[in-house]
Amino acid sequence: MTTLLVWKEYLKATYAKYEVYITPVAKFLLALIALLIVNGKLGFMERINSFSIVLIASLLCSLLPWSATMLMGSLFILLHLYALSLECAVVVFTLFLILYLLYFRFSPNGAIAVLLTPITCAMGLPFTVPVSVGLVGSPAGAVSVACGAIVYSVIAAISESVQALNSIDAENAVQRYRYVVDGLLNNKAMIVMVAAFVIVVALTYTIRRLAINHAWTIANIAGCVSGIVVLLVGDLALDTNISIWKMILGAIFSFGLVKVLQFFVFNVDYTRTERVQFEDDEYYYYVKAVPKIKMTKPEKRVKKINTPKRR
Amino acid sequence: MLNEERIRLMTRMVSYEENEGKKNIVIGNYFRGDYIGSQVLKAVISATIVFFAICGCYIFYDFELVMKDIYQIDLAATGRKIVAVYVLFTGIYAAIAYSIASVRYSRAKKSLKKYYADLEYLSAMYAEEL
Repeated sequence: MTTLLVWKEYLKATYAKYEVYITPVAKFLLALIALLIVNGKLGFMERINSFSIVLIASLLCSLLPWSATMLMGSLFILLHLYALSLECAVVVFTLFLILYLLYFRFSPNGAIAVLLTPITCAMGLPFTVPVSVGLVGSPAGAVSVACGAIVYSVIAAISESVQALNSIDAENAVQRYRYVVDGLLNNKAMIVMVAAFVIVVALTYTIRRLAINHAWTIANIAGCVSGIVVLLVGDLALDTNISIWKMILGAIFSFGLVKVLQFFVFNVDYTRTERVQFEDDEYYYYVKAVPKIKMTKPEKRVKKINTPKRR
Repeated sequence: MLNEERIRLMTRMVSYEENEGKKNIVIGNYFRGDYIGSQVLKAVISATIVFFAICGCYIFYDFELVMKDIYQIDLAATGRKIVAVYVLFTGIYAAIAYSIASVRYSRAKKSLKKYYADLEYLSAMYAEEL
């Protein structure tokens, strides 16, 4: 544990020193992963389905704010859908318009949660972002996570229904359009996923705020378990065809990842908890103080031995 | 000679200006009514665009039915219904925007109070030196 804490201090110091370089690299990597996932799942437009284009777009995103990555991802999705069918692009454009105009105008900081939710879902780690948002964010973060879940479900649903969409006569635009809208509105998997993620965020946030020992770990476990339960109930009630074992495995890995996050953000020593009571003119105070675990970075001493010059 | 206290204060202030304070300073430039009014106006415009986009989607979805019934339906009554739904939708969204904007404004003002106090203290430091 001590070694880990020393490493944490090293990492924090390194980040503080090279933050100017690390942040753009992180933005670049996130944009790269997001765009590669979009290309992998959709990939209908050949022009943008090349690694060089993704690389250029990611480099551009690394210099811009986080919300630019979200816009770039949306643009890639719309271009792919346009190549598949105009009706599909119109429906998804309307959906994005609603999300941008009604929600992101108020919460531009939620962009990272919207970006990370589809990425972690595609990687099979669905609860990582909702539990993390519940732990380090506020209940309003549930809306960002829900938006991310909607985006992921839409991409997944469209990539699965390509054949059916292509089988409809291209000249019958209204029928194709209806098929896409019906697919979007009757997407039971999306409804279950959104409900599960919102419940996970709310429960994790509520438990994390409790004044109990190991609140963060309990909140993490409760978040993952509640997510599994809601998805299972949703699967039973609405027949969403969710792979149970994959979901449980994903929840276990999500728990592990969130534990890593917890190590960096919230690391306290419950064995040294202090409880104090005092009063002033208006109140009695019952205070529980939990000390943070802190480790000082060991100083490296470099001893220089100068050999005398020989003449 | 370097004044360490002044440097510390200036560093803290610059850090605030470049991070959290960036938005707060912009908000602080407005009067309360002006800021909330502009936010509500933006919300009404956003809600209007979204409402018409949804209407367009709905009409295209039932395009054949709409075209068939367009000469049979009571246009005035339908128009009134659409306007009522639009007013309700925009009103709810504008009310949400109003409450969010007022909370943001008071938070920003509270946060700026400390910043302006620091600014005054800094100015006093300079005055003292002179």
